Amino acid sequence: MARTMRRKAGIAALAVTTTALAGCAGFGGGGGGDEGDDTLSFTTWASESEQLALEDLVAQFEDESGATVELNVVPYEQMFSNIDAQLASGDAPDVFRVDYGNLGVYSSQEQLLDLSDAFSGDEVDAFTPALWEAVSFDGAPYGVPHQTDVSALIVNLDMLAAAGIDASTLPTTQDDAWTWEEFADVAAQLRTALPAEQYPFVVNWQQGGTPRWMSWLFQAGGSFMAEDGTPTIDSPEGAAALDFTRSFFENQWVPPTSTPAGTVYADSLFSEQTTAMAFVGSFLVPDMDYFNEFEWTALPMPRDERGATDLGGNALVATAETDQPELATEFLRFMVTEEAMSTFCAATNELPTLTALEGDAIEFAIRPDVMPVFVDQATTIEPEDVRQLTSPAMAEISVAMQRELEAAFVNGQSTEETLANLDAAIAEASGS
Amino acid sequence: MTQAVAHAEGVRPGRVRVRPGQRRARRREGLVGLGFLAPNLVLMIGFLFVPIVLAVQLSFQETRGFGDPEWVGAANYETMVQDPEFWRSLANTVLFTAVTVPIELAAGLSLAVLLNSVLPARGLLRTLIVLPMVISGVASAMIAVILFYESNGLVNKVLEAVGLGRIAWQSEGAPAMLSVMLVAVWLRLGFNMVIYLAGLQAISPELYEAARIDGATRWQQLRSITVPLLGSSTFFLLIMNVIASFQVFDVIFVMTGGGPSGATSVLVTYAYRNGFLIREQGYGAALGIVILLITLAFTFLQWRTNRSRDQVG
Amino acid sequence: MTAPAQQVPIAAEAVPRAPRRRGRRDEARRGIVWRTIVAVVVTIIVVFPLYWMLVVAFSPRGEVFEPGLRLWPSSLTLENFEKIFDRYPVWTWFGNSLVIGVFITAITTTVNLLAGYAFARLRFAGRDAVFLLVLSTMMIPVQAIMVAQFKLISGLELYGTYWGVILPGAAAAFGIFLARQFFLSIPDELVEAARIDGAGHIRIFLQVVLPLCKPLIAVLLLLTFLGSWNDFAWPLIALKENELFTLPVGLIYLKGQTTPDYNAIMAMSLVSVIPMVLLFLFFQRYFVQGFARSGIR
Repeated sequence: MARTMRRKAGIAALAVTTTALAGCAGFGGGGGGDEGDDTLSFTTWASESEQLALEDLVAQFEDESGATVELNVVPYEQMFSNIDAQLASGDAPDVFRVDYGNLGVYSSQEQLLDLSDAFSGDEVDAFTPALWEAVSFDGAPYGVPHQTDVSALIVNLDMLAAAGIDASTLPTTQDDAWTWEEFADVAAQLRTALPAEQYPFVVNWQQGGTPRWMSWLFQAGGSFMAEDGTPTIDSPEGAAALDFTRSFFENQWVPPTSTPAGTVYADSLFSEQTTAMAFVGSFLVPDMDYFNEFEWTALPMPRDERGATDLGGNALVATAETDQPELATEFLRFMVTEEAMSTFCAATNELPTLTALEGDAIEFAIRPDVMPVFVDQATTIEPEDVRQLTSPAMAEISVAMQRELEAAFVNGQSTEETLANLDAAIAEASGS
Repeated sequence: MTQAVAHAEGVRPGRVRVRPGQRRARRREGLVGLGFLAPNLVLMIGFLFVPIVLAVQLSFQETRGFGDPEWVGAANYETMVQDPEFWRSLANTVLFTAVTVPIELAAGLSLAVLLNSVLPARGLLRTLIVLPMVISGVASAMIAVILFYESNGLVNKVLEAVGLGRIAWQSEGAPAMLSVMLVAVWLRLGFNMVIYLAGLQAISPELYEAARIDGATRWQQLRSITVPLLGSSTFFLLIMNVIASFQVFDVIFVMTGGGPSGATSVLVTYAYRNGFLIREQGYGAALGIVILLITLAFTFLQWRTNRSRDQVG
Repeated sequence: MTAPAQQVPIAAEAVPRAPRRRGRRDEARRGIVWRTIVAVVVTIIVVFPLYWMLVVAFSPRGEVFEPGLRLWPSSLTLENFEKIFDRYPVWTWFGNSLVIGVFITAITTTVNLLAGYAFARLRFAGRDAVFLLVLSTMMIPVQAIMVAQFKLISGLELYGTYWGVILPGAAAAFGIFLARQFFLSIPDELVEAARIDGAGHIRIFLQVVLPLCKPLIAVLLLLTFLGSWNDFAWPLIALKENELFTLPVGLIYLKGQTTPDYNAIMAMSLVSVIPMVLLFLFFQRYFVQGFARSGIR
């Protein structure tokens, strides 16, 4: 008996100690939005440099407002299933980060705080119009465009030189950007020069990046969805984009692992020197600087009928159910002040959404020399592209897109069938 | 886990006595019994049976995570019948099980025979082979990711160095499937060996001695003594391995995410994908019900087999 | 089928050797050499992945996928460990795994011992039917009901708390039958003697039966703790805040960072497996017996 009791007491003591060790936070109910009066919960995913920058800004906001902000950084892949669940159970965070594609899913289902009254006409005009449009639904803003991000082409100068490509011939601005033909020539030249296990380039359309395929569609002069949701992808432009991107795999210009459903990302393949070039967003510049043990620089994306890139970047939104609407609004407004935005963008190599900060207004902390290419690339985004990419149907479209592109690139599904399937999927997703 | 099923049929403690004077004591015993059982039952009802009922309900709904679910009848099941990814995942599950289980059994038996014989440092070797059993699926899969990394992973570098050429572990279906199978076998090899070792040590050495006197070769001894006498161990392992293979999740989730192009997608990862990654919770729940039914069917089958085995034996 | 419940002396050398005749001695010696070579080669293959984890964890940054074959680090470094402890709340995640593991283990072991005793030693109506029902649920994987279970803990406001992981984790039945089997093996006379002395069921359980069950309890504690420490699918679903992640979820978090740093991931993997490896080396006998009897891994 005594021994049993001792054992039980031992277990209890262990439990108590371990609880104390980890803090009792984990046993509380709910969490989320039901803390004290001036506490905001803010859920986001973040790269390392983003996390550091966010921590600094949050501390600054806490100093200025006297409020507390609980920053919760989660893995990107679990981010939206987390948010969905918290919205469903009514304990969503007050503020969260969301990409422009997913934002539509939430705003169209009335899950977000309407910010119409929080911004005056002049304040609205300070934002890049296309991005303000991206956070709006039925004319009302449901978030603030926090940053944007575009892809450009980064190149391994050592590998290029070894393949006989002279760095001085590389394009630097939109005006001398490679055409598709020129880009194909470079890829072919690299393919000849490189050993079989290395590849000319890699495209960043893996997993959540699948919509980045649209850049090629836009470059070809195409579109995928009209304003009323009617699919427009089954077109000569769509076929051109699909045939060209398919040829990347057929010609072994890209690693076979880098398909849209692949789990190895473009930036990893580039840093480990499996590819000589890579399409990556500017937010990866800090990582590239940390990992790459070779000389590299950035070039504009190739262009066909027009120049185009993908609309990356994210908005910050407050939830409709927040019990701190004023404080949440204040926080969102703070995060998009010129000062906060330029601090954040400078630290993370991301691009601003305020027109006043466009051009060379931001002094990027890491590799400032490559950033003008990204800034310049951003000018190729057109409002028509933004309208399509930020549609509420986009989340569902990208799931179908990943499936269809995978079938086209890997299983040899014909261009006609792929475009027809995409057409049908877009129609279903948009409800047109 | 499974022997329990047999026990349910077999041994029963005490005899049932119905003497009137003991009726009160028996009622008391019943109450105490329920009391002992209650905490476990409450947990199981709350977190197992209730979710099963909820899952059935959800599988008849279309729900995207938040907002009101919509009642859609059997639509999710109709979708499933026509969903090539579902059939592919089911086929992959069967393939994965059909390949890994025999390998685990054969390798486990060989290792057990080897490590049951006279060897230096036998204890140490056994310990090392059993060690992967305590390594988490996630950590194992992370190690496997860097080993089987297609472009510059160690396995491909070694294959190239010995002149065999690289294998498309991450971009082609068959090698990807092979890589997850290898990891699963690695994780379970030790378990199979341990069970067979226990079985071997229960076989009387005199049997082998007698066989030797009769002039039986080692192979004949293995075939006519070892394997038949390990029958119950084999059956037990068969059940355990099939269950583990049928439910393999962590390794596939981390290593391939079900790819490339669905080549390693199995039922449990496909259900997770629908339920938690692409906002198809109703469909995810319906897939869960299919997994549940297959599991119960297998349990029942094993139960029946057990019973007939017990009667024969 | 009551098969493999025998003793499993894994590290022990106490195996009876078949007597050998002199003429066979040379042959036997050659056999030993060959068997040793095979056994050592197999062991090296099995252990190699763990060795590789160590190599990558102690290698300088980037030295994992760089071109060129290398089987050991170019130089030993602790920078990957410094990085993970500096940038990620590794100790917090460690603590979370510990707290969740301890609670699941304590609750599961307690309720399973009680239930196992009831099924083995007490008579009440419907006992066998309930036992079969409980057993039939033992093989159901979490993926079969995860969506519904998730909705349930959301509804109970347990989503994103320790309890959301602990309670579904503790609703396990595997220990029940292990316990039942053990209790059935206890001689009736002991229990009868206590009853004649006037002890009630609860006292018999606590004072007579439990003290005989130390090996059983050790097995239950170790196996449950192992299962919970290594569990991944459910904590991934049920936890939402970084501060509450367990180590496996933290590993996924590291992998999900932009441009995953596999040197850091291996360092973190090492941190997460060390406690289990130590427990295993210390309590190997119980682990192996538990595996053999329950088939749980």
